[in-house]
Amino acid sequence: VLVRQADTSPPSLGRTIAASLGSITLQKVTEVGFANARANAERIASGQSIAALRDTPLADGGDALVVAAGPSLHRIDTARVIRESGFRGTIIATDSSMSWCLRNGITPDLVVTLDPHPTRIVRWFGDPGLDEAALREDDPFARLDDAYYARQDMDPGFRDEQLAKNAELVQLIDENGSRMRIAISSSAAPAVAERVAASGMEAFWWNPMYDDYDAPNSLTHRIRDMNGLPCVNAGGNVGSACWVFAHAVLGKSRVGLVGVDFGYYSDTPYERTQYFDEIVSLVGSHRLDDVFVRVHNPHVGKEFYTDPAYLWFRDSFLEMVETAECETYNCTGGGILFGPGIHWSGLAEFLSGSPAS
Amino acid sequence: MAQILRGNFEPRKRPNVELPSTDDLTSRFEAEALRRLGGSIAFVSKKKFTLGLEAHRPDSEAPKASNGAKRAGSPS
Repeated sequence: VLVRQADTSPPSLGRTIAASLGSITLQKVTEVGFANARANAERIASGQSIAALRDTPLADGGDALVVAAGPSLHRIDTARVIRESGFRGTIIATDSSMSWCLRNGITPDLVVTLDPHPTRIVRWFGDPGLDEAALREDDPFARLDDAYYARQDMDPGFRDEQLAKNAELVQLIDENGSRMRIAISSSAAPAVAERVAASGMEAFWWNPMYDDYDAPNSLTHRIRDMNGLPCVNAGGNVGSACWVFAHAVLGKSRVGLVGVDFGYYSDTPYERTQYFDEIVSLVGSHRLDDVFVRVHNPHVGKEFYTDPAYLWFRDSFLEMVETAECETYNCTGGGILFGPGIHWSGLAEFLSGSPAS
Repeated sequence: MAQILRGNFEPRKRPNVELPSTDDLTSRFEAEALRRLGGSIAFVSKKKFTLGLEAHRPDSEAPKASNGAKRAGSPS
């Protein structure tokens, strides 16, 4: 079903904030992105660019499935459907969903990572240096069971017993690293680059676009001049970046999405959401309903809600899908990503090659 | 009715209430959110998804990054 009109709440404070996010994000991410690119220069210079991905079997065939780490992944029997489908297309996973894939017997063909955070992203790969002190440093005001990963609704596996889970993850990634390729952004933290190399993953480097590449003195051109890597419009987040890789780098003509919610189920407490503390400090606990935006998803007949950051990601995705040379099938089964250019499909139907259209 | 809504007394001291503008809220939200996540990378509102990949072939690769040196299945 191709939905022509997105069904969202009327403008609210949350939507107003979301609409403004894009214009000011650039300056905040540039500094750390460039610093990480300089720190990764040696690995980049001796590594491969993503152009080489086109010479691998990943570019064969027309279908790809993007696996992101949204809450639907854990509410629907996604893993079984993928395993039993015999899907022969390319499976592209976000860094945050990689461990879920492996734990469920699914080996991603390609993992994508781009967020430059110095310590948090490496946790998705298993951080050999993680200890109790590092957990407290990560979030000094939080209890150990309530820190960043403990709060994730995305993967309940990360919520509890963080040190024990981390140790298991180090082993899991070490055992499977050599079977996976990763598209690693020059903006990734050096700790991530080091972990990728140590685990034996085959790395393919790229630059994120930072700004309008047609503008004079564009930062995008500057970083390309710096390391020679191709630049990719990452769409603001790693899930969107996976989709861009599927069609714009690997040339896939049909791309399915799972775990791309960009929102929360209505029974998720606000305090379990990604930006809860920031929103409370911004507007106070009495105005949360002004910032969280409610969205009715007509395909599943349920209401979801989202925050300004995820709403911005969703709006950016809808803008990108207009010019993409692929058919996009959202098989997430929930969330707020629907609208012009997005086909809503069952996962099994997509994987079997007969999605709704 | 308007008079009732306005209140029926004059406060001794005029309260000094200043609501932040939406721009302020947006900047603060973004700054706080980026501190937590490290900041995802910008979305660029342009039609091209890639730059430098179209003509990216082994003989046109910039000198600092190798391209296509390894084939699929190669150990890293």
